Amino acid sequence: MQNFDVIVIGAGPGGYVAAIRSAQLGLKTAIIEREYLGGVCLNVGCIPSKAMIAATHHLHRAQHDFKEMGIMISGPIEVDMKQLLKWKNSVCEKMSGGVSQLLKGNKVEIIRGEAEFKSAKEIIVKTTGGSQSYQSKYFIIATGSRPIEIPGFKLDEKDILSSTGALALDHIPKHIAVIGGGYIGLEISSYLRKLGTEVTVIEAQGQLLAGVVDPDCAQVVARKLEKSGVKVLYGAKAKGQSKSGSKYDVTIEMGGKDQTITVDKILVTVGRRPNGDQAQLRAAGIQVDERGFVKVDAQRRTNVSNIFAIGDIAGQPMLAHKASHEGVMVAEIIGGANRAYDAKMVPAVVFTDPEIASAGLTETEAKAKGYASLKVGKFPFAANGRAVSMMETEGFVKIIADAKTNIVLGVHIVGPEASNLISEAALAIEMGARLEDLALTIHPHPTLGETMMEAAEAALGHAIHIIQRPLNQSPVGNPRA
Amino acid sequence: MATIEVKLPELGEGVAEGELVRWLVKPGDLVKPDQSVAELMTDKATVEVPTPYAGIVKETLFKPGQVIKVEQVLLTLESSAQGATSQGAGPHGSTVSETTSVATTSAFQGGVHPPAKASGKGGSSGTSVPMGATGASSSGVYPPVAESKVLATPATRRLAREIGVDINEISGTGLAGRVTRDDVMASGGGLTSGSGLVKGTSNSEVGVAVPSKIAPGAVFGGAFVGGEERVAIVGIRKKIAQNMQMAKSIIPHFTLMDEADVTELVNMRESLKAVAEKNKTKITYLPFVMKALIATIREFPMFNASIDDQAQEIVYKKYFNLGFAADTPSGLVVPVIKQADQKSILQLSREILDLSIRARDGKLKLDEMRGATITITNIGSVGGTYATPIINHPEVAILGMYKISEKPVIKNGQLAAQKVMNFTITADHRLIDGAVAANFMKAFLSRIQNPNLLMVEMY
Repeated sequence: MQNFDVIVIGAGPGGYVAAIRSAQLGLKTAIIEREYLGGVCLNVGCIPSKAMIAATHHLHRAQHDFKEMGIMISGPIEVDMKQLLKWKNSVCEKMSGGVSQLLKGNKVEIIRGEAEFKSAKEIIVKTTGGSQSYQSKYFIIATGSRPIEIPGFKLDEKDILSSTGALALDHIPKHIAVIGGGYIGLEISSYLRKLGTEVTVIEAQGQLLAGVVDPDCAQVVARKLEKSGVKVLYGAKAKGQSKSGSKYDVTIEMGGKDQTITVDKILVTVGRRPNGDQAQLRAAGIQVDERGFVKVDAQRRTNVSNIFAIGDIAGQPMLAHKASHEGVMVAEIIGGANRAYDAKMVPAVVFTDPEIASAGLTETEAKAKGYASLKVGKFPFAANGRAVSMMETEGFVKIIADAKTNIVLGVHIVGPEASNLISEAALAIEMGARLEDLALTIHPHPTLGETMMEAAEAALGHAIHIIQRPLNQSPVGNPRA
Repeated sequence: MATIEVKLPELGEGVAEGELVRWLVKPGDLVKPDQSVAELMTDKATVEVPTPYAGIVKETLFKPGQVIKVEQVLLTLESSAQGATSQGAGPHGSTVSETTSVATTSAFQGGVHPPAKASGKGGSSGTSVPMGATGASSSGVYPPVAESKVLATPATRRLAREIGVDINEISGTGLAGRVTRDDVMASGGGLTSGSGLVKGTSNSEVGVAVPSKIAPGAVFGGAFVGGEERVAIVGIRKKIAQNMQMAKSIIPHFTLMDEADVTELVNMRESLKAVAEKNKTKITYLPFVMKALIATIREFPMFNASIDDQAQEIVYKKYFNLGFAADTPSGLVVPVIKQADQKSILQLSREILDLSIRARDGKLKLDEMRGATITITNIGSVGGTYATPIINHPEVAILGMYKISEKPVIKNGQLAAQKVMNFTITADHRLIDGAVAANFMKAFLSRIQNPNLLMVEMY
């Protein structure tokens, strides 16, 4: 039987990163993967959806913005869905192949198959060809999450889809019902809409992205989605469906009354469930909570001291970058370093149109944490030269700071390239920056990044490129005040 | 059923906290009032903490190595409502408060898991598990800073983890209370050694980590797998390390050495052996040395003093509490004989014997290890001719006594055998000049060499 120092279970963005760092530290490392290297993220999640979003973004601009810019295209702009799918798949293969190379280059042994603990020190990997046992001093569980299913909508990934099935569609559906207006549902909704699909979003709450992002940001996206023709049913519940011919009748309860819409595809995006409830962890005696999360401490150590858990299975937020951060940390703990999870915040990004990105606290959260008085500065992209010249002026940057110290508590962006802009905010919060630090850092012109500096100025009461009331708020304060 | 919180009771005058050595109970155990539930290390004493209430242990809220402050909740008990309020505050002054079962808010909605909340620190974004309840070991890990308001850069937070100081406990000197790199270094400066990572540390600046607090075997050392073992610095060892580091960094030490003719002293002790036996005790040389020391420091009061660094004053002590270093299985402890000047040689012998035995068994009370005005180290009973001991701060001197040997000496032109004992006096050079120490040693040795003098000076 082969012996390792570390065996990582699951090769997603948590697992493969943990394996590489373990190997870098000189530990004899193996990684077990049952499906694809790179996990959901690289193969059926983050990366392929971004490919679809990028492609349809270009399509949308060609259809709507080119004319105003003086770019004339004669004849209709068409989409070759088969080619689009092929290109999207090539993106995934490139990324997944990169992971494979990195693992091999670091001498991580890649074991294919389904893993199941035999004890806290031994694991069995089953493949079609039989099963094989491995021993290891340490294990890192990184087996992630899966889409939640709801009663009456059994996923077949052909007509009733999770995100996985939606990303694999090789034709443009006519009408799709999207159950759940969270970030996955809305990302897919917006690109399908751009491809020409009629989209009906069935949302149980009174707003989209409820509890996920700053409500002001969500509103900008909701408005644009509806303007683009996406129909959103708020306070609505999908009760069931029945097939009629090649179509589906979806029964929706709204305001105590039932109604039916006829669609040809149904997308279920009501959230993801951690895989801790799977039988594979049982023999090691690992404690799992009632939601399926493996119970871990601040070092991401489970109740079994040589077994760690990271990523989606170890708790919210279920985001790839949190998993990777934990992966590095746990590998270093096993390598002998004193570490614990100390991040102040996990930034989050939603690739809707426009994008939403956030780092740190919302106003509500800040108040709940005991910050009695806040400074909030908001700067619109419409007042930013670069945004105007890109013809992407929707949205704003909002900065929330503690009024007592001016320390930045949260930044929420909705607008062009929000996903790329948020990293500056993340750094500012981790460094404990004050509004002045952002305002006094020279930002290059003309860039979207200037909005961050201006929003900080706005929070201080004296942004240059917007008129702020009250006027005459002196930017030359008494330094001793 | 009700949940009872058992808080850390007062441990003694001026003791605000203790470090958890180990739990004596685990979740699920049934405990009776007054049963010891935890072993705590304070100053230099290990004390057992009793619960004033009966119940079933629900959760233990700290891990070995963590510091618990008086009045903090140690553990929770599950008990019937009636049982919960039996017997008021109990003999140990523990306080109890009933909680209506800890809030079950999800840790995933920005909530904080109950154990973390109880310790007053932040929660993690992951699900938390009370490690004490499951026996998994990650001792010395304080909760993540995410939920606390500590201001520090990520690199500084990591530094704090690596040198094993809780960043939440450091008061920052930077802007708006920011904890700076220097603040962390200053608070954890003492116990540092090689880097935390086994290999490939890219950040050599961070090469100040204490041995990791991960359980033994966590290291796969470069050449020899398993060739190292890492053990957490906790309990008595941690206390010793801190005290020694402090004393050595504050006090400019110097040591004076000399030897004494103890022929008469040996004879005197031999002649008293029978008396001791009749009194059911054993007389060692230590009580004689104590008597000689007391007589000498009456003459040289600066040896029975302290420096109050804050007030910049010298505190002369008019009482004579003698500490003596005792070697125990878990490390050095210093029991103290109070008002040794008012005790007879026989009384001193009995007390030394009693304190030594209880020191060895870890049964000393905290009070029996405090308040010394000067200390004697008797390392000579093991071996070595001379040593340079470290002063037990805030004392200003420590007397070393070493083993007795027979040596050839020239006496009146004749070679003779003589019983010789070595002594050292180590003093705080801020207060005690070299010449003073030499005179002190001379005066002390004259008493040792002529023990009859002791009778003259006996109070």
